[in-house]
Amino acid sequence: MTARRASLMVTCLGDLFFPEVGIAIVRLLRRLGVAVDVPADQTCCGLPLFNSGYHADAAAVARRTVALFKDADHVVVPSGSCAWMVKHEYPGLLADTALAREAGELAARTHELSQFLVRVLGVTEFTSAVSGRVTYHDSCHLLRGLHESQSPRTLLSRLKGAELVPLPGADECCGFGGSFAVRLPEVSAQILAKKLANVESTGAGCLVACDAGCLMQMAGGLTRKKSRVRALHLAELLDGGP
Amino acid sequence: MSDAELATPFRQRAGGAIKDTFLQEALTIATTKFIGLRRDAFASFPEGEALRDQARAIKEATLQELDRHLETLIGNVERLGGHVHYAATHAEARSIIVDIARRTGARMAVKSKSMATEEIHLNEALEAAGITPVETDLGEYIIQLAHERPSHIIAPAIHKTKGQVAELFSRELKRHAPPDPEALTRIARGELREKFLQADLGITGANFAVADTGTVVLVTNEGNGRMVTSLPRVHVAVMGVEKVVPSFTDLMVFLAILAKSATGQKLSVYTSMVQGPRRGGELEGPEEFHLVLLDGGRIAQIGGPLREALSCLRCGACLNVCPVYRQIGGHAYGYTYPGPIGILLTAMLEGTPAVKDLAHASSLCGACVEACPVRIDIPRMLIDLRREVDEKRIAPWPERVAFKLLATLLQRPRLYRFAARAGRALQRPFAREGRISRLPLFFGEWTRTRDLPPVASRTFQECWASEKDLAT
Amino acid sequence: MTTRAEFLGRIREQVRRSPRRFQADSARRPPHPAAEAETIRRELHERWPETLEAFRREFEGVAGVFHRVASIDMVPGVVSRIAHEREARELVSWHSTALGADLAPALGARGLAVHQMPAEEPHSVAERERLRAIAARADLGLTGVDLAIAETGTLVLVSGAGRPRSTSLLPPCHIAVFDRTALVDSLRQVGVFLEAWHGDGRPPAAGGAVNFITGPSRTADIELTLTRGVHGPKEVHAIFVEQPIRG
Repeated sequence: MTARRASLMVTCLGDLFFPEVGIAIVRLLRRLGVAVDVPADQTCCGLPLFNSGYHADAAAVARRTVALFKDADHVVVPSGSCAWMVKHEYPGLLADTALAREAGELAARTHELSQFLVRVLGVTEFTSAVSGRVTYHDSCHLLRGLHESQSPRTLLSRLKGAELVPLPGADECCGFGGSFAVRLPEVSAQILAKKLANVESTGAGCLVACDAGCLMQMAGGLTRKKSRVRALHLAELLDGGP
Repeated sequence: MSDAELATPFRQRAGGAIKDTFLQEALTIATTKFIGLRRDAFASFPEGEALRDQARAIKEATLQELDRHLETLIGNVERLGGHVHYAATHAEARSIIVDIARRTGARMAVKSKSMATEEIHLNEALEAAGITPVETDLGEYIIQLAHERPSHIIAPAIHKTKGQVAELFSRELKRHAPPDPEALTRIARGELREKFLQADLGITGANFAVADTGTVVLVTNEGNGRMVTSLPRVHVAVMGVEKVVPSFTDLMVFLAILAKSATGQKLSVYTSMVQGPRRGGELEGPEEFHLVLLDGGRIAQIGGPLREALSCLRCGACLNVCPVYRQIGGHAYGYTYPGPIGILLTAMLEGTPAVKDLAHASSLCGACVEACPVRIDIPRMLIDLRREVDEKRIAPWPERVAFKLLATLLQRPRLYRFAARAGRALQRPFAREGRISRLPLFFGEWTRTRDLPPVASRTFQECWASEKDLAT
Repeated sequence: MTTRAEFLGRIREQVRRSPRRFQADSARRPPHPAAEAETIRRELHERWPETLEAFRREFEGVAGVFHRVASIDMVPGVVSRIAHEREARELVSWHSTALGADLAPALGARGLAVHQMPAEEPHSVAERERLRAIAARADLGLTGVDLAIAETGTLVLVSGAGRPRSTSLLPPCHIAVFDRTALVDSLRQVGVFLEAWHGDGRPPAAGGAVNFITGPSRTADIELTLTRGVHGPKEVHAIFVEQPIRG
């Protein structure tokens, strides 16, 4: 089944810090014959507010997001945590509001990128933008929130020009956790150090993840220790050409 | 502000734990081992998933009629000649037990491992009343000698190296042995054997109590649970009200998954099902049996947001997989129960303000739910606690202001875009070679250990607005 | 002090006003456990060799030592060999009515000092203490087995007159003798027996304790290093007797 139109929910971190990821997604979707639109005036899904307990504010942001995406056929999100927020928390947050039904519908139409490619579009063959060994980190919300460990691995194992090697402790948290990273920075940094030790043990030149928060955390650690390993979003890796 | 001023007491303890090299090594070894054992046990146990679902359901079903099940339990305990006591608070529980000890003339009490008795701080109360409590579980014995509290729900002395234990035994018992677990265990066995045989009073917790029959169930490995419930004249079992299960049939569901979750064993070495007092012409068994039912904050949660936490089996599986616990160990949490479930239990027993920092001692990764035999949704309840902290204005005001500002930005796209432009301008002095390695003030919390990407020179939406950058 | 009425009243109030999280049931008890236990027995009788093999594997997996003999009169030979290997002499045992056979003479003849636990409750505190001291001093404890669980390698022992708890607890070496009638496959089946013993059936004995024993006592409290023989026995032996003990 081929979808003809997808709306990109670029996410706050993606918009502000990783525009190249959004650009890569637009390119790859267009190459697959999917028309892409980007509803204007996006800000954030509200997860940072939600996780820190500011639920009234999170609900206000959710209402905004639901309204912004109400005409979308499919919503594609380059982040497991944001996709999880929309799919799992929006219905509950907006249950007693006028937007309850729309929130449920949006949840059903929203997909994290790898899930969209593999489970909705049924496309799994891509050419890698980076050659050599790559290793994949399971971000917590994608793995345990959306129960998705397979789609990214399917895409990566079939990637032409790159070799997927397993990451020891792939399913272990990277230590980002949103505000956790700055509330308990020593703990967050130590969790990160162990993750990066695992990453470097694989011999891969490239670390791949499907979540901007994880990527900020892990890339931040890799460049700080002047590692040769680059952290990339899945979309950037898949954007290797037709 | 200096680090010391910024940091909460919890954060300071966590920092101390991270710098403790002995602790770090012990934690890595122990948690990694427990994780592997649990994983292997369930990998070869296909019925496990269905049993976990069933266990979760039994816990919920029991709560839905908790009063009725407790009444049945009480009736059966009394029918058998036991006594039941009702402790609304920790102070009351201590008082009840000290009273029993005094009335029975006990000078010494042997204790099997019980987190409930740790929770109520029983040992201090017994000592104050002139009764010597002797912990008999090896881990508890070690920490009792060291005057410490347990650092893990099932392995209380896991933070201690064998060298530290040898040194402790040498200093406190004047018994000398090499730093070898086998030799040290032999010393403990020798020291405690006489205590079991001499003690007038045995105190235990209860992993379960079967309502149908008035049976208390203890899950142990060492044999001290059996000693403590067979040899002394008086047995006191302290039990949270949520531990009751309706029948033996229910019990078997839990037994099938409890030890596997805790240590990877199919069953612990001893599952002791005791009804007291002794009967049927027995040589051994207590003359008097007392069951102390403990509230301490549990009852209020039957109808509260932490209700699900009442399903906890105290297996410790969530501790072993928690990225936070694995870095800081149990003592840093500062309360009786550490780890993910410990934060919820502390909120239950001490109130939400007690966990205003602990509620954030989690990256919400969800590994705990995955490991929990009864699938307690700990991250959800942590978020609920954070919400309660916000709604009750317990969080410090700079934080609330910052989040309010964030909320405003996220609802006003023009303000959001302005903030992006402002960020871009402000970061100029700090951005080098495409990354930021030092930021002042609060933002230094990130950059001390990690780089930060700069705000992009054009955000994605700015690129999209001028299409030309996105040509295929 | 909180009264029962206050305590339960508080719980009742909370239960009444709290929403059910989801529709849930506790486990379905067998309606006629004694009959079901009987059915389990009959069914197992047909295939006891398989169940025994599964038990042996699991029992050895938890460091139990398994022995097999043709008939009960060969048990003293195995027991005395175990004793001599450990230079042990003092043996405390369940009463012969609990074991299903009187092994004391044969054990005594092989050089063991056998202390059989009496069939009735002691009449005095002094007598009780004397018997406890014997159990505490003994090198070996000899018991029967009420259920042997194949799924986990577990021995289930019910306490009562003539079958004290200490026999399988105080001596450093526990030897348990059983036959095919004790074998069960699973924890689930054990649940049926427990329901029967406490319900419409008859327990093997009337004591206050049912002990599940899965291997020798152990701890890993020091650096997660496994050590055996903490407070309970350091060794557990199970002697399977091919010919049913009680004929």
